Amino acid sequence: MVKFADLITRKFQNIAGNRYEEILKAYEEFFLTEEEMAIPDIASILMLLDRYASNIPDEVYETISSYPDAKLQLVYLVDESVCRLIRETLGENDVKKFKDREEGRANEILSKVRERLKELDIAWTEDVIFGDKSEYVEDTGQKYDMLIVSKHYGSETAKTHTVSPVVFRIVQHVGKPIVLY
Amino acid sequence: MISSQEIMALSVFVGVYALIMSERIHRTVAAMIGASLILILNIVPWEQVPKYLDLNTILLLAGMMTVVNIARDSGLFEYIAIKTARLSKGNPMKVLLLFPIITALVSAVLDNVTTVLLLTPMLIYITRQMDINPLPFLLAEVFASNIGGTATLIGDPPNIMIGSAAGLSFNKFLVNMAPIAFLDLFVTVGIIYLAYRGTIGSHKGRSEAIRLSIMSLRGEEAIKDRTLFRKSVVMITAIIVAFFFHDRLGLQPAVIALSGASLLLLWSGTSPEYALEKVEWATLFFFGGLFIVVGSLVETGAIDQLADWMLGYVHTEGEAVLLISWFSAFSSAVVDNIPFTATMIPLIKAMGGNLSTYPLWWALSLGACLGGNGTAIGASANVVVVGMAYREGIRITFGDFLKVGMLIMLATVGVGSALIWVRYVGL
Repeated sequence: MVKFADLITRKFQNIAGNRYEEILKAYEEFFLTEEEMAIPDIASILMLLDRYASNIPDEVYETISSYPDAKLQLVYLVDESVCRLIRETLGENDVKKFKDREEGRANEILSKVRERLKELDIAWTEDVIFGDKSEYVEDTGQKYDMLIVSKHYGSETAKTHTVSPVVFRIVQHVGKPIVLY
Repeated sequence: MISSQEIMALSVFVGVYALIMSERIHRTVAAMIGASLILILNIVPWEQVPKYLDLNTILLLAGMMTVVNIARDSGLFEYIAIKTARLSKGNPMKVLLLFPIITALVSAVLDNVTTVLLLTPMLIYITRQMDINPLPFLLAEVFASNIGGTATLIGDPPNIMIGSAAGLSFNKFLVNMAPIAFLDLFVTVGIIYLAYRGTIGSHKGRSEAIRLSIMSLRGEEAIKDRTLFRKSVVMITAIIVAFFFHDRLGLQPAVIALSGASLLLLWSGTSPEYALEKVEWATLFFFGGLFIVVGSLVETGAIDQLADWMLGYVHTEGEAVLLISWFSAFSSAVVDNIPFTATMIPLIKAMGGNLSTYPLWWALSLGACLGGNGTAIGASANVVVVGMAYREGIRITFGDFLKVGMLIMLATVGVGSALIWVRYVGL
């Protein structure tokens, strides 16, 4: 047995050389580590939505459906600071117009999500909130076992960053598993 | 009467074989020392070296190695491995079926060692994720690699050597060997399933979590260079298409491979120093050395004498097909099939005076390529998979391999030789 192992080791080295190490190195970049392989227990999921969450990939719904017993909370957030700016510069009427428009947009996005969740037979609760997009998540996110958020959540309109600074802040401050899409 | 030159040539040949089998020194060094001795002793005169040095084989291998080395940097092969893993969706039965199919397909185009080196890490990873016995999956992969290599002219070095020596085209290999490989692949997966059906089970409670972790692998993330990826896919496809027409174009397969490599170098802008540095020069020198050592047996007449002796016992093509396929299979299960094929080629050529050699080449290809499945040391791909498994803490003993490998070798060579018999000898 020992001799066979020695022979295989010698032959392997002669045939493969250092190619195996090179290939393993390439694979390491996307293989999960032992730690990452451990799948956490998820009883509650917070799915954050805003005006940038229009294209939610199927993989997100697949992830949600793999936790059938978890409670799913959808929260659509509208930036309160924008309302304050409009109030200070344009007045209350324009704030109302802005809120109506944002609620319409929220309903549009939420209805798409509702449709997919119904197809997958997933129960949920939902809310539309006016507040600070990062502070809300930092406070409320702690109560959930997992967060789902778009990479563009809280982006500026031009979407100049691949991942928005708000999402970076959330990832740094909320010590929970986060699904980014 | 055996001449002193024949005795020296045979001694060098046996010595090189023994060194290759023991692997005490690198097989390339063994072949090079043997070739040097043959040249120093003037058994093969220097001016005769080009006659024995099969440049078609060496340059075809060099060309394909260059193409693979360039394509590898794009992440193409990791992409294929991830796509295969995702297609299986964490279902062990799908893994058992899909990985051998993909491995066989890739092996039909690339050399077997490169194929298993690139695909096995993914297979080990997903069997770990599934928390199941990796042995049947690894065995299925290595057998599939040897079977896939049998299907084409460029799939396995013995086929390259046979194709070059006998002037057999890519299409002739496809017509004669691909149907055998196709049948043998399913026979193999069936045998593995029957042998390990008790351990190939899914974890029902965790199946969703397993599926999720495997589906989290993203093929797109493996692509390191999208432009190079596209160019590699286009060029590999073009090379394969060109192989279909090489005989009609009057081009040797080596010319197709070298032209493909040159065009990919030009198109991709990859540094030739970088791409050529990664060519397996040791393997090419191994071939070069072997050709000279075996050439010495031809030069001294030893091969002719052996052929005459064999023809005393073999009188028909049917007998020769059976003898060559089974002798090659059992021999290749024990010794490296490259030196074995290098030795058999001149022997079959020498038999050409009395018999039609055409079916004998297919018998040799069958035995040399599939015989390697018999033992863990029968083919380079076996050694590589067993070696990788060792490094990952998975023990595949000689006995583990032998009890399934020998059965698969008997079944696949049986199927293949029966098909060759029916086709060329008749019922």
